[in-house]
Amino acid sequence: MKVVPSRSSEWVRPVTSQQPASAIIEIDRVSQVFQTSARKDHLALSEISLTIEEGAFVSILGPSGCGKSTLLYIVGGFVSPTSGAARMKGQRITGPGPDRGPVFQEFALFPWKTVLGNVMYGPRQQGVRAHEAETQSRALIEMVGLRGYESFYPKELSGGMKQRVALARTLAYHPEVLLMDEPFGALDAHTRTRLQNDLLNIWERDRKTVLFVTHSVDEAVFLSDKVVMMSKSPGRIREVIDIDLQRPRRRNELLLDPRYQKYVVDIERMFDESDEVGSPS
Amino acid sequence: MISQAAMAKRAAPVLACVGLLAIWQFASLGLESDSFPTAIEAIRAIPDILGDKESLINILASLRRMAIGFGIAVLLSIPLGLLMGRSRAVAAFFNPLLMIIYPVPKAALMPIIMLWLGVGDITKTLVIFLGVSLPVIYHSFEGAKAVEEKMLWSGAAMGLSPLQRLVRIVLPAALPEILTGCRTGLVLALITMITSEMIARQSGAGNILFNALDMGQYDTVYAMIIIVGAMGICLDAVFERVRARLVRWSEPQFDMPLSFS
Ligand SMILES: Nc1ncnc2c1ncn2[C@@H]1O[C@H](COP(=O)(O)OP(=O)(O)OP(=O)(O)O)[C@@H](O)[C@H]1O
Ligand SMILES: [Mg+2]
Repeated sequence: MKVVPSRSSEWVRPVTSQQPASAIIEIDRVSQVFQTSARKDHLALSEISLTIEEGAFVSILGPSGCGKSTLLYIVGGFVSPTSGAARMKGQRITGPGPDRGPVFQEFALFPWKTVLGNVMYGPRQQGVRAHEAETQSRALIEMVGLRGYESFYPKELSGGMKQRVALARTLAYHPEVLLMDEPFGALDAHTRTRLQNDLLNIWERDRKTVLFVTHSVDEAVFLSDKVVMMSKSPGRIREVIDIDLQRPRRRNELLLDPRYQKYVVDIERMFDESDEVGSPS
Repeated sequence: MISQAAMAKRAAPVLACVGLLAIWQFASLGLESDSFPTAIEAIRAIPDILGDKESLINILASLRRMAIGFGIAVLLSIPLGLLMGRSRAVAAFFNPLLMIIYPVPKAALMPIIMLWLGVGDITKTLVIFLGVSLPVIYHSFEGAKAVEEKMLWSGAAMGLSPLQRLVRIVLPAALPEILTGCRTGLVLALITMITSEMIARQSGAGNILFNALDMGQYDTVYAMIIIVGAMGICLDAVFERVRARLVRWSEPQFDMPLSFS
């Protein structure tokens, strides 16, 4: 199906023999098999190959259960693939490291630490002096819009606020790649829009590589350079779509842009087609 | 300004104690038994015990054994429980061992331990240690098992080594559960302390109690029961305060603690 204007793979492409110099992450024929409680092997990811260029904002879009989180965990080094390999700057990924910063669907904040304590945790671990780490962390907390909440504990925050803390906590130790798993999935529409704008501002400033998992087609189109569409059972890459829209992106301009609308409509149609729930293999 | 509700909350335990003593007083007046002194007689015997140097030395010796037994048990049980909660291999190794020890009354081991180690401090401290260890291990284990995996992943991404994750993530995350175990352990320490002194009479609060019983000094017996009970309540109240401070971050906003503090 050829529905989207440009499909030249500039930022993302299946792994080929000649690698562009600026590839930061390569996923090379990665498969993941899970033992389910029914004692049957479940193929969650099948021969996924993908290259992500340095500084690109790449979204992974796909129906629930197609293995998006699993793919992100493999790049994070939290899960080792059943076969195939993921590489970061040519080095095989064998475990987690501060060069890849995850922001989990479940926030996973440290409940015994305050907002400031959570954000400072990474820099302190990296050996940044307490005073310096605090100054930087306070600036980050302000940037994610949580000024005044520095001494609150996670249990005292709303879902959206926790999500902001989780983002600030990961940004604080300057990972080269951000791995974000449906970070805005649980938020109301308004907060979601605000955080999308904030994330885009941060990204346009630092140009970190971002791997962003989402369910939402407009979110993917609005934020990304590339959208990777996955299909389910087994999890496979179905399409890689270049989003050829100017940056910096302004939400109010973009929503009126027919090219943006076409991306959204086309991808949504594809999404619907792949959304029928396959039987577990 | 103390609100009425707060006043009621503070007065409630006092009223409960007074009520209990009143029932005791009337029951004993009604029964007129030699072996059941009135509450007032028992309370009157307390200053005699606490004023007596020998008794005081005995009680302090009890407390010292209890503190040492409890302290060592906590220091060893928490790491063991946490390791068991995070490592299948460690759990598989220690589980059967603990399952065997768990249902055995620790006091029942005393005769054997006495044979080996005599009737002195070491034997009694060891029994206290055994009594405290199991609940602390169990709760540390449950606490460590329940730690959210993504929290450990976040730590790993920041560069924490497995040992650092155990100490700096699993330990604090499991702390509320661990402290629940320690609180049970504290009460068990008091119980095993008295029991051990009952079996190996030589010194201690239990020794005073059972000597008085042998000599028919029933007011002293009851006074000792009050003293030991009060020690338990005070220790528990102090511990509950410390606990509440340490895990303030996890407490639900409105809850009713089951304690006298
Ligand atoms: N630890 C596990 N054990 C067994 N099966 C698993 C495990 N983790 C994931 N799976 C299976 O792998 C598949 C992919 O899961 P994954 O969480 O990656 O999906 P997802 O695309 O992130 O879904 P969602 O959008 O709902 O978050 C699912 O079918 C799931 O049942
Ligand atoms: Mg997921």
